[in-house]
Amino acid sequence: MTAATTVELTGITKKYRGTTALDAIDLAFQPGITGLLGPNGAGKTTLLRIIATVLSPDAGEVRLLGRTPATPDELAQVRRQLGYQPQEMGFPRAFTGFGFVDYMAVLKEWTARAPRHNEVRRVLDLVDLGEVATKRVRTLSGGQRRRVALAQALLGDPHLMLLDEPTTGVDPEQRVSLRQVLSRAGERSTVLLSTHQTEDVAALCDRVVVLDQGRVRFDGAVQDLVATAAGRVWLADAPDPAARASWRTGTGKHRNVGEVAPSGSERTEPTLEDAYLLLLGDRALTTEVAA
Amino acid sequence: MKAPWHADDDLLTRYVHGTVGPLDGVSLEQHLTGCADCRVRIATHVDVAPLELVWTRVREQVQAPAPSLVERLLTRFGVSEPDARIVAVAPSLRTSWLLGLAVTLGFVGLGTANGGTRGLTFFLLVAPLVPVAGVAFAYGPDVDPSYEVSVAVPYSAARLLLLRTAAVLATSLPLVLMAALLVPGLSWTAVSWLLPALAFTAVILAVSTWTRPTFAGVGLGIAWACVVGTAALDRDPYAVLAPTPLLVYAATGIAAALVLRLRIRRLTPLGSLS
Repeated sequence: MTAATTVELTGITKKYRGTTALDAIDLAFQPGITGLLGPNGAGKTTLLRIIATVLSPDAGEVRLLGRTPATPDELAQVRRQLGYQPQEMGFPRAFTGFGFVDYMAVLKEWTARAPRHNEVRRVLDLVDLGEVATKRVRTLSGGQRRRVALAQALLGDPHLMLLDEPTTGVDPEQRVSLRQVLSRAGERSTVLLSTHQTEDVAALCDRVVVLDQGRVRFDGAVQDLVATAAGRVWLADAPDPAARASWRTGTGKHRNVGEVAPSGSERTEPTLEDAYLLLLGDRALTTEVAA
Repeated sequence: MKAPWHADDDLLTRYVHGTVGPLDGVSLEQHLTGCADCRVRIATHVDVAPLELVWTRVREQVQAPAPSLVERLLTRFGVSEPDARIVAVAPSLRTSWLLGLAVTLGFVGLGTANGGTRGLTFFLLVAPLVPVAGVAFAYGPDVDPSYEVSVAVPYSAARLLLLRTAAVLATSLPLVLMAALLVPGLSWTAVSWLLPALAFTAVILAVSTWTRPTFAGVGLGIAWACVVGTAALDRDPYAVLAPTPLLVYAATGIAAALVLRLRIRRLTPLGSLS
Protein backbone atom coordinates (compact mmCIF):
# COMPACT_ATOMS: atom_id res chain seq x y z
CA MET A 1 0.00 0.00 0.00
CA THR A 2 1.41 3.41 -0.91
CA ALA A 3 1.39 6.17 1.68
CA ALA A 4 -1.35 8.08 -0.09
CA THR A 5 -3.75 5.16 -0.43
CA THR A 6 -6.82 5.87 1.68
CA VAL A 7 -9.10 3.04 0.58
CA GLU A 8 -7.85 -0.46 -0.11
CA LEU A 9 -10.26 -3.24 -1.02
CA THR A 10 -9.03 -6.78 -1.54
CA GLY A 11 -11.23 -9.58 -2.83
CA ILE A 12 -14.47 -7.91 -1.78
CA THR A 13 -17.48 -10.13 -2.44
CA LYS A 14 -21.09 -9.47 -1.53
CA LYS A 15 -24.13 -11.55 -2.42
CA TYR A 16 -27.83 -10.95 -1.91
CA ARG A 17 -29.94 -14.12 -1.85
CA GLY A 18 -27.78 -15.79 -4.46
CA THR A 19 -27.27 -12.68 -6.61
CA THR A 20 -23.66 -11.55 -6.67
CA ALA A 21 -23.52 -7.78 -6.20
CA LEU A 22 -19.71 -7.64 -5.94
CA ASP A 23 -17.45 -10.38 -7.18
CA ALA A 24 -13.94 -10.41 -5.68
CA ILE A 25 -13.30 -6.71 -6.24
CA ASP A 26 -9.77 -5.37 -5.81
CA LEU A 27 -9.54 -1.58 -5.76
CA ALA A 28 -7.46 1.13 -4.14
CA PHE A 29 -8.20 4.85 -3.98
CA GLN A 30 -6.10 7.89 -3.22
CA PRO A 31 -7.05 11.54 -2.58
CA GLY A 32 -8.85 13.04 -5.55
CA ILE A 33 -12.21 12.44 -7.15
CA THR A 34 -13.01 9.04 -8.61
CA GLY A 35 -16.20 8.47 -10.55
CA LEU A 36 -18.04 5.17 -10.27
CA LEU A 37 -20.04 4.40 -13.38
CA GLY A 38 -22.15 1.41 -14.24
CA PRO A 39 -25.69 0.37 -15.07
CA ASN A 40 -28.26 -0.16 -12.35
CA GLY A 41 -27.36 -3.30 -10.44
CA ALA A 42 -23.66 -3.03 -11.28
CA GLY A 43 -22.72 -2.95 -7.59
CA LYS A 44 -21.90 0.75 -7.16
CA THR A 45 -24.19 1.32 -4.19
CA THR A 46 -23.09 -1.90 -2.51
CA LEU A 47 -19.46 -0.87 -2.95
CA LEU A 48 -20.09 2.54 -1.38
CA ARG A 49 -22.06 1.00 1.50
CA ILE A 50 -19.18 -1.33 2.29
CA ILE A 51 -16.65 1.51 2.22
CA ALA A 52 -19.04 3.59 4.34
CA THR A 53 -18.87 0.81 6.97
CA VAL A 54 -22.64 0.33 6.98
CA LEU A 55 -22.50 -3.04 5.23
CA SER A 56 -20.16 -5.96 5.77
CA PRO A 57 -18.74 -7.86 2.81
CA ASP A 58 -19.22 -11.62 2.67
CA ALA A 59 -15.53 -12.00 1.85
CA GLY A 60 -12.48 -9.84 1.40
CA GLU A 61 -10.57 -7.22 3.32
CA VAL A 62 -11.34 -3.52 3.70
CA ARG A 63 -8.72 -1.01 4.83
CA LEU A 64 -9.80 2.60 5.23
CA LEU A 65 -7.54 5.53 6.08
CA GLY A 66 -4.84 3.11 7.16
CA ARG A 67 -7.11 1.13 9.50
CA THR A 68 -8.99 -2.13 9.37
CA PRO A 69 -12.45 -1.22 10.69
CA ALA A 70 -13.05 -4.52 12.44
CA THR A 71 -13.22 -3.41 16.08
CA PRO A 72 -15.62 -0.76 17.43
CA ASP A 73 -12.74 1.56 18.25
CA GLU A 74 -11.21 1.30 14.78
CA LEU A 75 -14.65 1.72 13.27
CA ALA A 76 -15.24 4.92 15.24
CA GLN A 77 -11.84 6.27 14.21
CA VAL A 78 -12.66 5.71 10.54
CA ARG A 79 -16.17 7.13 10.86
CA ARG A 80 -14.78 10.34 12.38
CA GLN A 81 -13.17 11.04 8.99
CA LEU A 82 -16.04 9.82 6.84
CA GLY A 83 -18.76 11.70 5.00
CA TYR A 84 -21.47 9.56 3.42
CA GLN A 85 -24.42 10.49 1.27
CA PRO A 86 -26.52 7.40 0.54
CA GLN A 87 -28.45 6.94 -2.67
CA GLU A 88 -31.81 7.12 -0.95
CA MET A 89 -32.11 9.15 2.17
CA GLY A 90 -35.12 9.83 4.34
CA PHE A 91 -35.43 12.53 6.93
CA PRO A 92 -37.07 12.28 10.36
CA ARG A 93 -40.45 13.97 10.44
CA ALA A 94 -40.65 17.67 11.25
CA PHE A 95 -36.92 18.33 10.82
CA THR A 96 -35.86 21.56 9.14
CA GLY A 97 -32.80 21.53 6.91
CA PHE A 98 -30.80 23.16 9.69
CA GLY A 99 -32.27 20.82 12.30
CA PHE A 100 -31.37 17.69 10.34
CA VAL A 101 -27.79 18.74 9.59
CA ASP A 102 -27.45 19.81 13.23
CA TYR A 103 -28.68 16.38 14.34
CA MET A 104 -26.13 14.71 12.08
CA ALA A 105 -23.44 17.02 13.46
CA VAL A 106 -24.28 15.83 16.98
CA LEU A 107 -23.95 12.23 15.79
CA LYS A 108 -20.57 13.21 14.35
CA GLU A 109 -19.48 14.33 17.81
CA TRP A 110 -19.81 18.08 17.42
CA THR A 111 -20.89 18.54 21.00
CA ALA A 112 -20.32 22.26 21.65
CA ARG A 113 -23.38 24.14 20.40
CA ALA A 114 -21.80 27.33 19.01
CA PRO A 115 -19.08 25.76 16.83
CA ARG A 116 -21.53 23.06 15.77
CA HIS A 117 -24.06 25.60 14.58
CA ASN A 118 -21.32 27.56 12.79
CA GLU A 119 -20.31 24.38 10.98
CA VAL A 120 -23.92 23.60 10.08
CA ARG A 121 -24.31 27.10 8.63
CA ARG A 122 -21.05 26.68 6.70
CA VAL A 123 -22.06 23.46 4.98
CA LEU A 124 -25.60 24.70 4.28
CA ASP A 125 -24.12 27.82 2.68
CA LEU A 126 -21.76 25.62 0.63
CA VAL A 127 -24.71 23.86 -0.97
CA ASP A 128 -26.68 27.13 -1.29
CA LEU A 129 -29.34 26.19 1.22
CA GLY A 130 -28.74 28.95 3.75
CA GLU A 131 -31.95 30.73 2.79
CA VAL A 132 -34.21 27.70 3.12
CA ALA A 133 -32.51 26.25 6.20
CA THR A 134 -35.56 26.93 8.36
CA LYS A 135 -37.99 25.10 6.05
CA ARG A 136 -39.02 21.57 6.86
CA VAL A 137 -37.04 19.11 4.76
CA ARG A 138 -40.22 17.41 3.58
CA THR A 139 -41.42 20.65 2.01
CA LEU A 140 -38.22 21.09 0.00
CA SER A 141 -37.85 20.01 -3.62
CA GLY A 142 -36.09 16.75 -4.49
CA GLY A 143 -32.98 18.65 -5.57
CA GLN A 144 -32.93 20.65 -2.34
CA ARG A 145 -33.27 17.46 -0.28
CA ARG A 146 -30.30 15.99 -2.16
CA ARG A 147 -28.34 19.10 -1.18
CA VAL A 148 -29.34 18.71 2.48
CA ALA A 149 -28.04 15.14 2.25
CA LEU A 150 -24.81 16.40 0.70
CA ALA A 151 -24.46 19.11 3.35
CA GLN A 152 -24.36 16.57 6.17
CA ALA A 153 -21.70 14.60 4.28
CA LEU A 154 -19.55 17.75 4.13
CA LEU A 155 -19.58 18.30 7.90
CA GLY A 156 -16.07 18.63 9.24
CA ASP A 157 -14.36 18.37 5.83
CA PRO A 158 -13.95 14.56 6.06
CA HIS A 159 -10.92 12.85 4.55
CA LEU A 160 -13.12 10.27 2.85
CA MET A 161 -16.33 11.26 1.09
CA LEU A 162 -18.71 8.71 -0.40
CA LEU A 163 -21.42 10.27 -2.51
CA ASP A 164 -24.11 8.18 -4.15
CA GLU A 165 -25.88 10.12 -6.90
CA PRO A 166 -25.31 13.55 -5.30
CA THR A 167 -26.51 15.55 -8.29
CA THR A 168 -29.66 13.59 -9.14
CA GLY A 169 -32.63 15.96 -9.35
CA VAL A 170 -30.43 19.03 -9.02
CA ASP A 171 -30.98 21.79 -11.59
CA PRO A 172 -28.12 22.68 -13.99
CA GLU A 173 -27.15 25.90 -12.19
CA GLN A 174 -26.96 24.15 -8.84
CA ARG A 175 -25.10 21.25 -10.41
CA VAL A 176 -22.33 23.60 -11.52
CA SER A 177 -22.25 25.08 -8.02
CA LEU A 178 -22.01 21.62 -6.47
CA ARG A 179 -19.21 20.70 -8.86
CA GLN A 180 -17.21 23.60 -7.44
CA VAL A 181 -17.82 22.34 -3.92
CA LEU A 182 -16.85 18.77 -4.84
CA SER A 183 -13.77 19.79 -6.78
CA ARG A 184 -12.52 21.72 -3.75
CA ALA A 185 -13.21 18.68 -1.56
CA GLY A 186 -11.25 16.50 -3.99
CA GLU A 187 -8.14 18.63 -3.51
CA ARG A 188 -7.65 17.33 0.04
CA SER A 189 -9.94 14.29 0.39
CA THR A 190 -10.67 11.02 -1.30
CA VAL A 191 -14.05 11.48 -2.96
CA LEU A 192 -15.88 8.53 -4.51
CA LEU A 193 -18.73 9.68 -6.66
CA SER A 194 -21.26 7.14 -7.85
CA THR A 195 -23.39 8.55 -10.63
CA HIS A 196 -25.22 7.95 -13.86
CA GLN A 197 -24.22 11.42 -15.05
CA THR A 198 -21.22 10.90 -17.33
CA GLU A 199 -20.91 14.68 -17.72
CA ASP A 200 -20.30 14.98 -13.95
CA VAL A 201 -17.55 12.38 -14.18
CA ALA A 202 -15.98 14.11 -17.18
CA ALA A 203 -16.14 17.47 -15.42
CA LEU A 204 -14.90 16.41 -12.00
CA CYS A 205 -13.01 13.15 -11.90
CA ASP A 206 -9.35 12.32 -12.31
CA ARG A 207 -10.18 8.66 -12.49
CA VAL A 208 -13.17 6.53 -13.42
CA VAL A 209 -14.08 2.99 -12.41
CA VAL A 210 -16.74 1.24 -14.45
CA LEU A 211 -18.53 -1.58 -12.68
CA ASP A 212 -20.71 -4.15 -14.37
CA GLN A 213 -22.30 -7.21 -12.80
CA GLY A 214 -20.19 -6.79 -9.72
CA ARG A 215 -16.89 -6.66 -11.54
CA VAL A 216 -14.52 -3.89 -12.58
CA ARG A 217 -14.74 -3.40 -16.33
CA PHE A 218 -12.51 -0.34 -16.51
CA ASP A 219 -10.25 1.46 -14.06
CA GLY A 220 -8.18 4.37 -15.23
CA ALA A 221 -8.03 8.00 -16.24
CA VAL A 222 -11.15 9.52 -17.74
CA GLN A 223 -9.30 10.50 -20.91
CA ASP A 224 -8.07 6.91 -21.28
CA LEU A 225 -11.64 5.63 -21.24
CA VAL A 226 -12.66 8.31 -23.74
CA ALA A 227 -9.72 7.31 -25.93
CA THR A 228 -11.09 3.78 -26.23
CA ALA A 229 -13.94 5.26 -28.30
CA ALA A 230 -11.68 7.14 -30.71
CA GLY A 231 -12.57 6.28 -34.29
CA ARG A 232 -15.83 4.61 -33.28
CA VAL A 233 -18.21 7.57 -33.24
CA TRP A 234 -19.69 8.99 -36.42
CA LEU A 235 -22.13 11.65 -37.49
CA ALA A 236 -24.40 10.59 -40.35
CA ASP A 237 -27.61 11.68 -42.01
CA ALA A 238 -29.41 8.52 -40.95
CA PRO A 239 -29.33 6.16 -37.97
CA ASP A 240 -27.14 3.10 -38.36
CA PRO A 241 -29.00 -0.13 -37.47
CA ALA A 242 -25.67 -1.82 -36.76
CA ALA A 243 -24.56 0.82 -34.25
CA ARG A 244 -24.46 0.14 -30.49
CA ALA A 245 -26.44 3.31 -30.02
CA SER A 246 -27.76 5.94 -32.36
CA TRP A 247 -29.69 9.13 -31.79
CA ARG A 248 -30.61 12.31 -33.61
CA THR A 249 -28.69 15.34 -32.40
CA GLY A 250 -29.83 18.94 -32.33
CA THR A 251 -28.08 19.62 -35.64
CA GLY A 252 -30.24 17.04 -37.41
CA LYS A 253 -27.31 14.64 -37.80
CA HIS A 254 -27.44 11.18 -36.24
CA ARG A 255 -24.71 10.26 -33.80
CA ASN A 256 -23.80 6.61 -34.33
CA VAL A 257 -21.68 4.83 -31.77
CA GLY A 258 -20.37 1.51 -33.03
CA GLU A 259 -17.59 -0.48 -34.58
CA VAL A 260 -18.30 0.16 -38.27
CA ALA A 261 -18.57 3.49 -40.07
CA PRO A 262 -22.01 4.02 -41.62
CA SER A 263 -21.94 5.02 -45.27
CA GLY A 264 -21.61 8.74 -45.87
CA SER A 265 -20.67 9.44 -42.29
CA GLU A 266 -17.96 11.61 -40.83
CA ARG A 267 -15.89 10.66 -37.82
CA THR A 268 -16.31 12.83 -34.72
CA GLU A 269 -14.67 13.26 -31.33
CA PRO A 270 -15.93 10.77 -28.76
CA THR A 271 -17.28 11.69 -25.36
CA LEU A 272 -17.16 9.77 -22.09
CA GLU A 273 -20.74 8.69 -22.71
CA ASP A 274 -19.77 7.20 -26.08
CA ALA A 275 -16.90 5.28 -24.49
CA TYR A 276 -19.17 4.04 -21.70
CA LEU A 277 -21.75 2.80 -24.21
CA LEU A 278 -19.08 1.01 -26.22
CA LEU A 279 -17.52 -0.54 -23.13
CA LEU A 280 -20.73 -1.99 -21.77
CA GLY A 281 -22.63 -2.49 -24.99
CA ASP A 282 -26.29 -3.36 -24.50
CA ARG A 283 -25.77 -3.70 -20.74
CA ALA A 284 -25.32 0.07 -20.50
CA LEU A 285 -28.96 0.42 -21.50
CA THR A 286 -30.43 -2.26 -19.24
CA THR A 287 -31.59 -2.34 -15.63
CA GLU A 288 -30.75 -5.05 -13.14
CA VAL A 289 -32.25 -6.09 -9.84
CA ALA A 290 -29.32 -6.06 -7.41
CA ALA A 291 -28.28 -2.85 -5.67
CA MET B 1 -27.53 59.25 -12.50
CA LYS B 2 -23.76 59.63 -12.15
CA ALA B 3 -22.66 61.23 -8.90
CA PRO B 4 -20.89 64.61 -9.51
CA TRP B 5 -18.38 64.24 -6.63
CA HIS B 6 -16.76 61.64 -4.36
CA ALA B 7 -16.38 61.72 -0.63
CA ASP B 8 -12.81 61.95 0.61
CA ASP B 9 -11.32 59.40 3.00
CA ASP B 10 -11.40 61.79 5.93
CA LEU B 11 -15.15 62.31 5.59
CA LEU B 12 -15.76 58.58 5.21
CA THR B 13 -13.65 57.82 8.27
CA ARG B 14 -15.41 60.41 10.40
CA TYR B 15 -18.79 59.14 9.24
CA VAL B 16 -17.94 55.56 10.15
CA HIS B 17 -16.72 56.66 13.58
CA GLY B 18 -19.80 58.82 14.14
CA THR B 19 -17.85 62.09 14.45
CA VAL B 20 -19.19 63.80 11.35
CA GLY B 21 -21.62 66.71 11.76
CA PRO B 22 -25.33 66.14 11.16
CA LEU B 23 -25.47 68.16 7.94
CA ASP B 24 -22.43 66.46 6.43
CA GLY B 25 -23.77 63.11 7.59
CA VAL B 26 -27.12 63.53 5.86
CA SER B 27 -25.39 64.81 2.76
CA LEU B 28 -23.04 61.83 2.68
CA GLU B 29 -25.86 59.35 3.20
CA GLN B 30 -27.76 60.91 0.32
CA HIS B 31 -24.63 60.72 -1.82
CA LEU B 32 -23.96 57.09 -0.93
CA THR B 33 -27.38 56.02 -2.19
CA GLY B 34 -26.36 57.09 -5.70
CA CYS B 35 -22.60 56.45 -5.77
CA ALA B 36 -21.42 52.86 -6.02
CA ASP B 37 -17.74 53.89 -5.90
CA CYS B 38 -18.14 55.57 -2.52
CA ARG B 39 -20.16 52.64 -1.19
CA VAL B 40 -17.25 50.37 -2.07
CA ARG B 41 -14.75 52.76 -0.46
CA ILE B 42 -16.70 53.25 2.75
CA ALA B 43 -16.90 49.47 3.15
CA THR B 44 -13.11 49.42 3.56
CA HIS B 45 -13.41 51.79 6.54
CA VAL B 46 -15.89 49.56 8.37
CA ASP B 47 -14.79 46.89 10.82
CA VAL B 48 -16.87 43.93 9.63
CA ALA B 49 -16.19 41.70 12.64
CA PRO B 50 -18.94 43.20 14.85
CA LEU B 51 -21.35 43.14 11.91
CA GLU B 52 -20.60 39.50 11.21
CA LEU B 53 -21.10 38.71 14.87
CA VAL B 54 -24.49 40.39 14.82
CA TRP B 55 -25.40 38.62 11.59
CA THR B 56 -24.36 35.26 13.04
CA ARG B 57 -26.53 35.91 16.11
CA VAL B 58 -29.47 36.84 13.92
CA ARG B 59 -29.07 33.65 11.89
CA GLU B 60 -28.73 31.63 15.07
CA GLN B 61 -32.00 33.03 16.37
CA VAL B 62 -33.79 32.41 13.10
CA GLN B 63 -32.32 29.07 12.03
CA ALA B 64 -31.59 27.06 15.17
CA PRO B 65 -34.64 24.90 15.86
CA ALA B 66 -36.40 25.37 19.17
CA PRO B 67 -35.91 22.35 21.45
CA SER B 68 -38.89 20.04 21.71
CA LEU B 69 -40.79 19.44 24.95
CA VAL B 70 -38.90 16.18 25.52
CA GLU B 71 -35.56 17.89 24.87
CA ARG B 72 -36.38 20.65 27.35
CA LEU B 73 -37.41 18.12 29.98
CA LEU B 74 -34.28 16.05 29.47
CA THR B 75 -31.95 19.03 29.74
CA ARG B 76 -33.82 20.15 32.86
CA PHE B 77 -33.01 16.75 34.38
CA GLY B 78 -29.34 17.15 33.61
CA VAL B 79 -29.02 15.43 30.23
CA SER B 80 -26.56 17.27 27.99
CA GLU B 81 -27.94 19.24 25.06
CA PRO B 82 -26.43 16.94 22.37
CA ASP B 83 -27.69 13.78 24.12
CA ALA B 84 -31.14 15.32 24.60
CA ARG B 85 -31.17 16.14 20.89
CA ILE B 86 -30.39 12.57 19.92
CA VAL B 87 -32.83 11.03 22.37
CA ALA B 88 -35.75 13.27 21.42
CA VAL B 89 -35.55 12.25 17.76
CA ALA B 90 -36.92 8.78 18.58
CA PRO B 91 -40.52 8.41 17.37
CA SER B 92 -41.52 6.89 20.72
CA LEU B 93 -40.27 9.96 22.57
CA ARG B 94 -42.13 12.57 20.57
CA THR B 95 -44.88 14.54 22.18
CA SER B 96 -47.49 13.00 19.86
CA TRP B 97 -46.49 9.46 20.91
CA LEU B 98 -46.59 10.35 24.60
CA LEU B 99 -49.98 12.03 24.27
CA GLY B 100 -51.34 9.00 22.40
CA LEU B 101 -49.90 6.71 25.05
CA ALA B 102 -51.48 8.76 27.85
CA VAL B 103 -54.90 8.60 26.18
CA THR B 104 -54.58 4.86 25.54
CA LEU B 105 -53.53 4.18 29.11
CA GLY B 106 -56.41 6.32 30.34
CA PHE B 107 -58.84 3.99 28.57
CA VAL B 108 -56.93 0.94 29.83
CA GLY B 109 -57.14 2.27 33.38
CA LEU B 110 -60.87 2.91 33.11
CA GLY B 111 -61.36 -0.58 31.67
CA THR B 112 -59.35 -2.05 34.53
CA ALA B 113 -61.38 -0.20 37.13
CA ASN B 114 -64.75 -1.07 35.66
CA GLY B 115 -64.26 -4.07 33.41
CA GLY B 116 -63.86 -6.87 35.92
CA THR B 117 -61.67 -9.82 34.92
CA ARG B 118 -61.73 -8.83 31.29
CA GLY B 119 -60.52 -5.32 32.12
CA LEU B 120 -57.77 -6.68 34.33
CA THR B 121 -56.68 -9.05 31.58
CA PHE B 122 -56.44 -6.12 29.21
CA PHE B 123 -54.30 -4.19 31.70
CA LEU B 124 -51.98 -7.18 32.21
CA LEU B 125 -51.68 -7.56 28.46
CA VAL B 126 -50.82 -3.93 27.82
CA ALA B 127 -48.79 -2.76 30.83
CA PRO B 128 -45.57 -4.80 30.38
CA LEU B 129 -45.60 -4.19 26.63
CA VAL B 130 -45.69 -0.38 26.81
CA PRO B 131 -41.92 0.03 27.37
CA VAL B 132 -41.29 -2.77 24.86
CA ALA B 133 -43.20 -0.83 22.18
CA GLY B 134 -41.33 2.32 23.17
CA VAL B 135 -37.95 0.67 22.72
CA ALA B 136 -39.04 -1.04 19.47
CA PHE B 137 -39.92 2.39 18.07
CA ALA B 138 -36.85 4.16 19.40
CA TYR B 139 -34.12 2.85 17.13
CA GLY B 140 -33.50 0.97 13.90
CA PRO B 141 -34.12 1.02 10.18
CA ASP B 142 -37.87 0.58 10.53
CA VAL B 143 -38.42 3.76 12.50
CA ASP B 144 -35.53 6.02 11.45
CA PRO B 145 -35.69 7.15 7.81
CA SER B 146 -32.11 8.41 8.05
CA TYR B 147 -30.88 5.20 9.67
CA GLU B 148 -28.36 4.30 6.95
CA VAL B 149 -26.49 7.56 7.17
CA SER B 150 -26.75 7.66 10.96
CA VAL B 151 -24.97 4.29 11.12
CA ALA B 152 -21.89 5.75 9.40
CA VAL B 153 -21.12 8.11 12.29
CA PRO B 154 -18.76 7.77 15.25
CA TYR B 155 -21.52 8.20 17.86
CA SER B 156 -21.93 4.89 19.66
CA ALA B 157 -25.06 3.01 18.63
CA ALA B 158 -25.02 1.28 22.00
CA ARG B 159 -25.02 4.58 23.85
CA LEU B 160 -27.78 5.88 21.60
CA LEU B 161 -30.01 2.84 22.19
CA LEU B 162 -29.42 2.80 25.94
CA LEU B 163 -30.08 6.53 26.28
CA ARG B 164 -33.31 6.21 24.34
CA THR B 165 -34.31 3.14 26.35
CA ALA B 166 -33.75 5.02 29.60
CA ALA B 167 -35.84 7.89 28.28
CA VAL B 168 -38.59 5.49 27.19
CA LEU B 169 -38.69 3.93 30.65
CA ALA B 170 -38.65 7.34 32.32
CA THR B 171 -41.57 8.59 30.25
CA SER B 172 -43.73 5.47 29.86
CA LEU B 173 -43.51 3.74 33.25
CA PRO B 174 -45.00 6.65 35.23
CA LEU B 175 -47.92 6.73 32.81
CA VAL B 176 -48.53 3.00 33.22
CA LEU B 177 -48.18 3.34 37.00
CA MET B 178 -50.89 6.01 36.97
CA ALA B 179 -53.16 3.66 35.02
CA ALA B 180 -52.28 0.90 37.51
CA LEU B 181 -53.66 3.02 40.33
CA LEU B 182 -57.08 2.16 38.93
CA VAL B 183 -56.55 -1.57 39.50
CA PRO B 184 -59.30 -2.50 41.99
CA GLY B 185 -58.10 -2.65 45.56
CA LEU B 186 -54.62 -1.41 44.70
CA SER B 187 -53.34 -4.97 44.93
CA TRP B 188 -49.83 -6.29 44.32
CA THR B 189 -50.82 -6.40 40.63
CA ALA B 190 -50.55 -2.60 40.50
CA VAL B 191 -46.76 -2.83 40.66
CA SER B 192 -45.81 -6.46 39.99
CA TRP B 193 -46.22 -5.96 36.23
CA LEU B 194 -43.04 -3.88 36.46
CA LEU B 195 -40.97 -7.06 36.68
CA PRO B 196 -42.05 -8.54 33.31
CA ALA B 197 -41.92 -5.01 31.82
CA LEU B 198 -38.27 -4.57 32.82
CA ALA B 199 -37.42 -8.16 31.87
CA PHE B 200 -38.97 -7.71 28.44
CA THR B 201 -37.09 -4.44 27.99
CA ALA B 202 -33.85 -6.27 28.66
CA VAL B 203 -34.90 -9.01 26.24
CA ILE B 204 -35.69 -6.59 23.38
CA LEU B 205 -32.34 -4.88 23.90
CA ALA B 206 -30.51 -8.21 23.86
CA VAL B 207 -32.36 -9.49 20.81
CA SER B 208 -31.65 -6.17 19.02
CA THR B 209 -28.01 -7.23 18.85
CA TRP B 210 -29.13 -9.90 16.37
CA THR B 211 -32.12 -8.40 14.59
CA ARG B 212 -34.20 -5.26 14.32
CA PRO B 213 -35.85 -3.98 17.51
CA THR B 214 -39.24 -3.97 15.78
CA PHE B 215 -38.95 -7.69 14.99
CA ALA B 216 -37.99 -8.37 18.60
CA GLY B 217 -40.88 -6.23 19.84
CA VAL B 218 -43.44 -8.00 17.67
CA GLY B 219 -42.14 -11.40 18.79
CA LEU B 220 -42.33 -10.42 22.45
CA GLY B 221 -45.80 -8.98 21.99
CA ILE B 222 -47.12 -12.18 20.42
CA ALA B 223 -45.50 -14.36 23.09
CA TRP B 224 -46.88 -12.23 25.94
CA ALA B 225 -50.36 -12.17 24.36
CA CYS B 226 -50.30 -15.97 24.27
CA VAL B 227 -49.29 -16.16 27.93
CA VAL B 228 -51.94 -13.69 29.08
CA GLY B 229 -54.55 -15.20 26.76
CA THR B 230 -53.93 -18.68 28.14
CA ALA B 231 -54.29 -17.41 31.71
CA ALA B 232 -57.47 -15.55 30.78
CA LEU B 233 -58.96 -18.69 29.22
CA ASP B 234 -58.33 -20.43 32.54
CA ARG B 235 -60.25 -17.53 34.17
CA ASP B 236 -57.19 -16.63 36.22
CA PRO B 237 -55.32 -13.70 34.64
CA TYR B 238 -53.52 -13.11 37.96
CA ALA B 239 -51.65 -16.34 37.27
CA VAL B 240 -49.20 -14.47 35.00
CA LEU B 241 -48.02 -12.57 38.08
CA ALA B 242 -47.86 -15.54 40.42
CA PRO B 243 -44.55 -16.07 42.29
CA THR B 244 -43.25 -18.74 39.92
CA PRO B 245 -43.78 -16.71 36.71
CA LEU B 246 -42.27 -13.69 38.45
CA LEU B 247 -39.15 -15.73 39.16
CA VAL B 248 -39.06 -16.74 35.50
CA TYR B 249 -39.31 -13.09 34.40
CA ALA B 250 -36.54 -12.13 36.79
CA ALA B 251 -34.28 -14.93 35.54
CA THR B 252 -35.07 -14.06 31.92
CA GLY B 253 -34.31 -10.40 32.54
CA ILE B 254 -31.00 -11.15 34.22
CA ALA B 255 -30.00 -13.53 31.40
CA ALA B 256 -30.97 -10.94 28.77
CA ALA B 257 -28.97 -8.26 30.61
CA LEU B 258 -25.92 -10.53 30.58
CA VAL B 259 -26.34 -11.23 26.87
CA LEU B 260 -26.72 -7.52 26.23
CA ARG B 261 -23.56 -6.82 28.21
CA LEU B 262 -21.64 -9.27 26.03
CA ARG B 263 -23.11 -8.22 22.68
CA ILE B 264 -23.95 -4.53 23.13
CA ARG B 265 -21.44 -3.50 20.47
CA ARG B 266 -23.08 -5.70 17.88
CA LEU B 267 -26.32 -3.83 17.34
CA THR B 268 -28.50 -4.53 14.32
CA PRO B 269 -26.29 -4.73 11.24
CA LEU B 270 -27.46 -2.77 8.26
CA GLY B 271 -26.95 -5.84 6.14
CA SER B 272 -30.44 -6.92 7.09
CA LEU B 273 -31.74 -3.92 5.12
CA SER B 274 -30.56 -5.18 1.80
